[in-house]
Amino acid sequence: MAVKKQEWELSQRGLKDAARHREKIKESIQKNIADIISDASIITRKKGQIVKVPIRGLKSYRFIYKQESSGGTGVGQGEGKKGDIIGRQPIHDGRPGQPGDQPGIDFLETEIDIEELIEMMLKDLGLPNLKKKAVAEAAIPKGWKFQSIEKTGVTSRLDRKRTLKEAIRRTTTFVGELMRRTGEPEEVCRKALEIAQGDLLRAEKILREENLPEEGQGFIPLFREDLRYRTLEKDVEYHSNAVVLAMMDVSGSMGTMKKYLARSFFFWLVEFLRQIYKQVQIRFIAHTTEAKLVSEHEFFHKGESGGTFCHSAYDLAIHLTETEYNPARWNIYPFHFSDGEDFEPAKTVSSARRLLQLGVNMLGYGEIQADPYSSSRLMATFEREFHLEKPHFRPGEFEIFSGTDPATPFIGAVLKDKSHVYLTLREFLKKDRPFGGKNHGFRTEAPQRI
Amino acid sequence: MDSELKRLSEFDEKIQEIAQEFGLDFFPQEFDVIPAQKMLEILAYHFPVNFSHWSFGRDYEREKTQYEYGFGLPYEVALNSNPCRAYLINTNPIPVQVMVMAHVYAHNDFMKNNLHFKPTRRDILPSASEAAIRFQKYEKRFGPEEVERLLDSGLSIELNINPDFFIHEESEEEQRERLSTPSPVVVASGPYDDLIAPKKPDRPSLDYYNKKTPLEPERDVLLYIINHSPKPLREWQRDILSVLRDQSRYLMPQRRTKIMNEGWATLWHLRIMDRLFKERLLNEEEHGNYNLYNARVLATNPRTLNPYLAGLRIFADIEERWNRGRFGREWEECQDPKKRETWDLGTGQGREKIFEVRRSYGDRFFIEQFLTEKLVHDLNLYLYEGKQEQGEIRYVISERDWKQIKSLLVSHLSTFGTPLVMVEDGDYKGKRELYLKHSYDGVELDQEYREKTMEHIFYLWDRPIHLESMANEKKVVYTYDGTKHTTARRE
Repeated sequence: MAVKKQEWELSQRGLKDAARHREKIKESIQKNIADIISDASIITRKKGQIVKVPIRGLKSYRFIYKQESSGGTGVGQGEGKKGDIIGRQPIHDGRPGQPGDQPGIDFLETEIDIEELIEMMLKDLGLPNLKKKAVAEAAIPKGWKFQSIEKTGVTSRLDRKRTLKEAIRRTTTFVGELMRRTGEPEEVCRKALEIAQGDLLRAEKILREENLPEEGQGFIPLFREDLRYRTLEKDVEYHSNAVVLAMMDVSGSMGTMKKYLARSFFFWLVEFLRQIYKQVQIRFIAHTTEAKLVSEHEFFHKGESGGTFCHSAYDLAIHLTETEYNPARWNIYPFHFSDGEDFEPAKTVSSARRLLQLGVNMLGYGEIQADPYSSSRLMATFEREFHLEKPHFRPGEFEIFSGTDPATPFIGAVLKDKSHVYLTLREFLKKDRPFGGKNHGFRTEAPQRI
Repeated sequence: MDSELKRLSEFDEKIQEIAQEFGLDFFPQEFDVIPAQKMLEILAYHFPVNFSHWSFGRDYEREKTQYEYGFGLPYEVALNSNPCRAYLINTNPIPVQVMVMAHVYAHNDFMKNNLHFKPTRRDILPSASEAAIRFQKYEKRFGPEEVERLLDSGLSIELNINPDFFIHEESEEEQRERLSTPSPVVVASGPYDDLIAPKKPDRPSLDYYNKKTPLEPERDVLLYIINHSPKPLREWQRDILSVLRDQSRYLMPQRRTKIMNEGWATLWHLRIMDRLFKERLLNEEEHGNYNLYNARVLATNPRTLNPYLAGLRIFADIEERWNRGRFGREWEECQDPKKRETWDLGTGQGREKIFEVRRSYGDRFFIEQFLTEKLVHDLNLYLYEGKQEQGEIRYVISERDWKQIKSLLVSHLSTFGTPLVMVEDGDYKGKRELYLKHSYDGVELDQEYREKTMEHIFYLWDRPIHLESMANEKKVVYTYDGTKHTTARRE
């Protein structure tokens, strides 16, 4: 018989090489991460929305003719007259594998969510100087934890979030494929897919026959392949408590760009802490000449005007430390962002000193020098008063300052543009940073659970 | 399961019979029924077993996603081997299997008879799996990063080889001999010989050719680098690059006959399926199922040319024209539309003609000679360009004129989509720098791809790389010196 059933040993080659390709994509995301994380669409996203960082396959480079996407000419097939649009493709700058792969070899777009992004960019980072606080309330056994995600399992362990994510991922892929096949814009393709209840071929037919109803609705059902389940594993770690005091200058001199950088930093800090640590409290302090505790939403969305007394924020932090967060029980991390235009820098230094004396784990200060005309610089005062050193300094670049003795766990950063947000995060969350060039035994295991 | 295998075997025999009756001439045909995963792997890796590389992994994942989401085509892989080996996915419905089998027999015929396939190594399969084993050893010995780095670079120029490899490969010694030997001086003897200027022995001396490298502009960039890189390449590195070159040469005939080969296979699978249906070997339902898949094979795409559809229509058109005598001077010169409409000389040479075309053409001449104005209209072809507007790239139809469409197709096909780049000088400036020249044919090189490719070539050559090309109708020389790219305009 010329038709045979061959017994193939199923090789893992395809899967292995696909994993290597994914790894290379990750590497290239990591290279561009400073740009990706300062993307406004991420920071301003609605709660719960998945961040779309479209990832395409890496290109295989060779000599090719100028691409259609950059003015080259291609041959296509279909109806239409000169000038008709037959396809669209979003432009994404600075993203790996973008844009303009040759037609027909477009990789199916996937997405990445904040958790994955954080995992990638803040690998090996954590709260510095974290100590085990030996008190009752801090020791919380975690009990069971969800270990891995599987494609099969019992209904009670269905991971809704992951399942939904898979469904969204698949839908996006389908929409992309429809756009590629029919040249219709994204919203139209999405609508057609909804009307077809997720059936790709039907959606394509709807688009080709142009009988897309004006008002129509539908939803995209879950497919069985989308389902994700969790497996359980016993987890008996103990934790210690930590609080982050997020202090931000919202005065009139903080222009849109400066506010954006500060918020961007806090946004990632908050997302990161919530993902890495089981229990971490975050208190939001906004200040002009006065400081007040605000809600998370207010902190990220409201601007004010008026002058600046930075010490007001530090005073409020001192008050919180003395009344709510006893340093004997709590790991305390005040982070302050300002443009440095402080009316009373001397007072701010003395309040900061007091805060350090109370025994906070680390004090981080970020100064945004987005325009070259600012007059006073709080950082300069800190540098002088605390005898800070600048471990990495390149003129005109991102600057970092660090305390020189264990009694001054102070770290300062000067940010000049969007890409410095990422650098600041990396510096502020360096777990084993020694103050004073010595190792003080603050080293913690990675990642430390609180 | 086995009953299904039995039914497939019966179909196989029947198809073979019909195919022979139609005049197809093929190698012995073998079908393996395999799981989808294996099929997707073969598609991505080009061979049943091949070495590892992330780009294959990427393609595998793409194929897999398309397959899992159900928008792939009915997959067919027929390898250019004797006996011809082809694969069927074990989960496909019978009508799809039968259609693929019919399709494959025509591929088999094409690969056995088309002149571009004549010189290929039909024993490449074992050599690919042997290479996979050797590469694994290299990974262990020299590190996976080293092997991957080399593959990245080698793959970037795998298409920059000489596609016409069936001509005798001259050794460098022979080439030097030929070039430096003055052609014999013509002595006037006939009445017109004095009109022919006697050839002067103006060729450079042997000494010149002893120093010159390459002796003539070399189209096989990859081979030149394997043989002459001053890096120098180590034995295992040359082995890897040679395997890439062998595989690329093996796949070259497929690249230059894509439209013909797929068109030919589609033409015959349609006819064979028709017969099977007429002879009631497939029932209504199965036929309907087949039609559904067939429609997908023949679907048009706004941004690419469907080779199955285009090739099919052109072959069918040739057959009809040669059947009715619609060729030759009289036909070409006839302007009377009525006369043309009903033109039928009863020539009946259609079948003969398409078999001749499948034997002696490649895509470029196939399109140049047989893509008529009517076909361009019937196939709904157009040219399009990308424009950046309102935050997206919009692809817009830029041309409907059939002559322009055809001429662009011909020009793309003359180099099979790969711009022609040749080695001009392997000892540029006497410093063993590499000077490449792009034969400009009206379309510039893509900048991003060019720069990255030059970086890859640098990795293989380890000295500055120069590339002469054209930008804005002006001659330019691009240089990559290992750290930065520079551009020099030349007059």
